[in-house]
Amino acid sequence: MKKILAMILALALAVTAFACAAPAAEPAATEAPAAEAAATEAPTEAVVEEGFHPASEVTLNFPCIWVGTDSKAAVFGEMVAAFNDEYAGRAKVVIEEQTDYQAYRDKIRTMISAGQAPDLFSVDGTFKLADLADSGKLMDFAPYLDGTDWGATYTEGALSDATLDGKIYAIPFESAVFGIYYNSELLANAGYTEFPTTYDDMFAMADALKAQGVIAFPLMTGENAWTSMLWYSQILLAIGGPDVYKNGLDDPAFVQAADVLKKMFDYTSSDAVGAGAAVVNGHFLNFEAAVYTNGPWFLPRFAKEGINDLGSKVKFALPPEYTGGMGTYGGLAGTVQAYLCAGTQTDADKAAAVVEFYKFINQPEWLYQLAESSGAMFFVKLDSNPNDIQIKQDLLAAANSAPYIVKHFNDSMPTAVGNAFPAALDELVLGTVDAQGFVDLLKAAGE
Amino acid sequence: MKPTKKDRLGMALFMTPALVLFVLFFIIPVGYVLVVSLFKWNGMTAATFVGMKNYVTIWKDPVFRRSVINNVLWALVASCVQVPLSVLMALILNRKPRGWKFFRTVYFFPQVISGVALAMLWSAMYNSEYGLINGILRAIGRGDLAINWLGTLNTALPALLIYWVFYIGYYMVIVMSDLSGVDKDFYEAAEIDGASKIQQAWFISLPMIKSSVLTCMTLAAVLGLRQFEQVYLLTNGGPANRTSTMVLYLYKQIQNTRYGPANAASVMLICVGVIVILGIRALFKLGRSSRN
Repeated sequence: MKKILAMILALALAVTAFACAAPAAEPAATEAPAAEAAATEAPTEAVVEEGFHPASEVTLNFPCIWVGTDSKAAVFGEMVAAFNDEYAGRAKVVIEEQTDYQAYRDKIRTMISAGQAPDLFSVDGTFKLADLADSGKLMDFAPYLDGTDWGATYTEGALSDATLDGKIYAIPFESAVFGIYYNSELLANAGYTEFPTTYDDMFAMADALKAQGVIAFPLMTGENAWTSMLWYSQILLAIGGPDVYKNGLDDPAFVQAADVLKKMFDYTSSDAVGAGAAVVNGHFLNFEAAVYTNGPWFLPRFAKEGINDLGSKVKFALPPEYTGGMGTYGGLAGTVQAYLCAGTQTDADKAAAVVEFYKFINQPEWLYQLAESSGAMFFVKLDSNPNDIQIKQDLLAAANSAPYIVKHFNDSMPTAVGNAFPAALDELVLGTVDAQGFVDLLKAAGE
Repeated sequence: MKPTKKDRLGMALFMTPALVLFVLFFIIPVGYVLVVSLFKWNGMTAATFVGMKNYVTIWKDPVFRRSVINNVLWALVASCVQVPLSVLMALILNRKPRGWKFFRTVYFFPQVISGVALAMLWSAMYNSEYGLINGILRAIGRGDLAINWLGTLNTALPALLIYWVFYIGYYMVIVMSDLSGVDKDFYEAAEIDGASKIQQAWFISLPMIKSSVLTCMTLAAVLGLRQFEQVYLLTNGGPANRTSTMVLYLYKQIQNTRYGPANAASVMLICVGVIVILGIRALFKLGRSSRN
């Protein structure tokens, strides 16, 4: 009996010790029944009447990521304060500060699955619009955007891209396009005054840079392999054109693009495998690397953090063309950085307050300030801002004249495929698989 | 003495609060993990019952199998290399050589530093471009040996394990506290009988501290099996998932919003943990019975 008791105790202790090993999974476990319950409730929409005159002050809860040290925090805080002033006695937005992106995503998922979607919240590209729609817990903005003055403020195609079965559960807010940025001084030292327009010429330039001891392309496979993923997206568009994602990973362009990306690793730093964003950024900001890609939010950092007056030496370039490819020169990869969402509202006043707030923060005067302070771009149509740095103006001009802007690889693929990209890239770069094997690994991740 | 009915009632009363907390915060969550592991669920829409499919899926995944192997390796290295090193250092410092307090503090110091800071430090040391290790190699004219330690298939896992093994302070302090309770008379008697210091350590100290060594080995194995922070920060499981661990695997499944496989991985982690801990306990029991 004692032995049995001792065995049970030992087992219980061992189980206890390892139960602590999976803290992240526990909330998931507790959420499952709630998700089922949530799915059975039918969403109810309220209709907003003309003007905004609630019976009493409406309070909107906003778990918000644009706080703390976020580059948009200061201006966004001012925007919320201004809204609360202007709508005093009618509506009040209460910010719940969230400083960690992953924790924020988990929180939003948990709240939606529990049928308690926040009044206001934002989601990024890791959320799939279909999942948001299927949850049945989000407010449909189509009645407020379709054919309205508010809807007309958005750029071409922005709202239609966010529409599913005639409903808009996520309002496109922050966008980004990805240009190529080069250190003109390092290129000049290698004999180049302009950035090449084809991949063949770009590799010839990379040879010249390598001969000078310069890292041509700072690349990474660590973290989410961000800059490498952006290059892969650009190469894919150059080879397969804007419809490259329509056939999924079966399109031969994915294999061809993998070969080109692998070749780029011949001209990168020795720490590229396993490197994170800090390493890549460091190489470019410290005048060690010549060609870089990232979103518009990074542009102010060239001047702020670069050495040797880097800010004045970085120039914008369009992604090169691929000889024989289906892409058009000038086509760009882009992304939706943030959508604005709201939980389903049964109270008409609350629904109206949500709309008022989202209209308020999408006013151009606020968006200009946000753009200046953070480098962000938005889906609301804005005139070019003379206060922007030159390189940002160049990027905006390129975006405005782009024959197409297509979501980058991670946004265009299922989440699991995007998350498998870094490990598959490791295999490709380290030579354990070829380009076809790389694509096969991505396919396997998506199954 | 056999406990009376009153004693039993008292014992039950004292145990109840802890038992309630244990059930609420461990047994029920573990039960939920088990239940969710049988469902397909993305965290937002309705969950679908799939039975054992999640277990089959993750077991077919070579990354998961590699994660299990890596975890067992972590546990073995922690309990069979790190703990013996800690015991050795404790035995040396227990002799109170000159500067022993200084060394005790130095060895324990990393335990009070954030694991994130240590990981960043080692990440910088291992960096192939500007890292200290490659810098030393280049300085002594062996730049040919300078490699990307965390980015090369054959060196990434050993690099992580070596970094981890160095931090022996935690177990060393546990063993030292047990050693301080060993009666000095044993050593004096052994001295008179002509036993060397090594013989004293082997035949007196080690048998007397066996229970704390078992505790350290169990703790080390548990921490090895739960390994996440260092791997996540230094390699994120790379290169090519070669350093992945089970907790990192389930974390990535959660990132993929595949909560079923993530919870199945949690259950597997619990199973592997139970096997390893029972294995360690059996090993010590075997040693005891073979001497008897």
